[in-house]
Amino acid sequence: MARLPEGRWLDVDGIRTRYFEAGSGEPVVFIYGGNFGTGDSASSAHTWNLNLAPLSEHVRAITFDKLGQGETDNPKNDDYTMAAVVRHAAAFLRAMKLPPVHLVGHSRGGYAATRVALDNHDLVKSLTVVNSGTLSPGVGTNEVVLAKPPYAAGTRECVRWVYENYSFDPKVVTEEWVDAVMATLALPKYQESVRKIGVEKLGTKLFLPDLAREKRETLQWINEGRLQRPVQVVWGFDDRTAVIDRGIELYNLFAKHERRALFHVFNQSGHFPFREHPERFNALMRRWVESLA
Amino acid sequence: MIVFIHGGVPGVTPYCSGPHIWGSVLQQFSNATTVDVAGQTVDAMTQSVRKAIEGKGRCHLVGHDLGGLIALGLAIEAPQLVSAVTAVASVAASPTGDGVGDFTFAYPPKPLWSRESQRWALERASYSHHHVDGKLLDACVAAAAKQQPMTPETYAEQFVPSLMKAKARFYEVCRSEGIKVPCQVIWGSHDPLATFDHGLWLFRGIAQRQRVAQFHVINRTGSLPFREEPAAFHQVVSAFNGAGVRS
Repeated sequence: MARLPEGRWLDVDGIRTRYFEAGSGEPVVFIYGGNFGTGDSASSAHTWNLNLAPLSEHVRAITFDKLGQGETDNPKNDDYTMAAVVRHAAAFLRAMKLPPVHLVGHSRGGYAATRVALDNHDLVKSLTVVNSGTLSPGVGTNEVVLAKPPYAAGTRECVRWVYENYSFDPKVVTEEWVDAVMATLALPKYQESVRKIGVEKLGTKLFLPDLAREKRETLQWINEGRLQRPVQVVWGFDDRTAVIDRGIELYNLFAKHERRALFHVFNQSGHFPFREHPERFNALMRRWVESLA
Repeated sequence: MIVFIHGGVPGVTPYCSGPHIWGSVLQQFSNATTVDVAGQTVDAMTQSVRKAIEGKGRCHLVGHDLGGLIALGLAIEAPQLVSAVTAVASVAASPTGDGVGDFTFAYPPKPLWSRESQRWALERASYSHHHVDGKLLDACVAAAAKQQPMTPETYAEQFVPSLMKAKARFYEVCRSEGIKVPCQVIWGSHDPLATFDHGLWLFRGIAQRQRVAQFHVINRTGSLPFREEPAAFHQVVSAFNGAGVRS
């Protein structure tokens, strides 16, 4: 069991932001996936608990709770959009006064990390995208795999079912992981986001259409070669929600314009290769940073 | 220790491979060594490498092309000698399928194995010609003076059957008990000798029965990714070498 370091707080443009930091040297910043307002699962900085401490022996490892997720404040003026999440992530990097960082984004966080880089080249030294169906062109299969969990939303059983179906090996979904998700779900401010996204329908009225519009633009920009940073795509081979072909397609988009483009596949891994193969993922990240020094 | 095993069949491969083919990337590893591959069949070549690594403790074998198949064969035959395998641009180990003819090396300038002919071959095997420098060509010419080319008869009567036999054994183990030693595949994005799918299918084969198998693609490289992108190659090999091994 790996613990995150003690959490800290930072004011990011009026948003009280929770973050975690350990180690020294080249800064590596991790952005997890998911979005605010989901009632059957909930991501937080804990997603990276198997990576932050081990990597902090070699780099300055940082993660933070995204806008409206984990313990960070919900968006102002009900701006429940990916664009607001991206702006907050970039503002966090600026508020931390970091030199250009190695940005690592998973799933929806892979989209956010890429868009932060495209909008703020000065903040980013390299990009790592992990199993991001949100960023990859093609058909996402989350709703096919995870439609209507057989347990009531917000229960431990439901949370466990969702992450087991994301994973190759259901045994990687530990009690500790479920505990962390349950703790986020129990926060009053998180429940507020669940109401906004679900009951007030901001998910379908605002978040998804805005993301679709911005994704078109983001893919166009990648296709035009605007990223202009070393990039690696890491993929769990057995992810049913973002299948391997989508990783290949995404890698090919980047590789067209970037000499330092790499594609890495981990066998017997679902959506979370850094949780199913933490030692190997951490070794790959450490050596990536060294190779760009 | 990391042992680098070169590929190539003397007299058949139009450039002359050998320990020199790895080039400057070896200096990035603190514990690298190379071996000379000798023999007229894959089995004989495998035994020559086995002899060279015996007594060195368990080694991470990094094999290029045919050297990759030899490394995988040793992982099956003598897992007590092997801690990990990295197969690099290993067209020899990847499925042959009923592929279309590859014309990359179809019409080499004569005389074969001359400096100019080897330059032609190395450039054609690569994404970019920049790594084909005087130092490499000198080493290839020196190697050509020492190596005995395989005759067409030996190639057809002995080598090719031994290659098919070694591949069949490899795929059989992949499908049944699995390879007990952690393996990864590194592929050049622009390898003119094989497609992306060849690399992915080599990985899929190993992945059937091995939890920790990995597949990596290095952009803007051909058949010699360790020469064209040494930093990326070092990242992938050293990461696999360093991580805790639980097959």
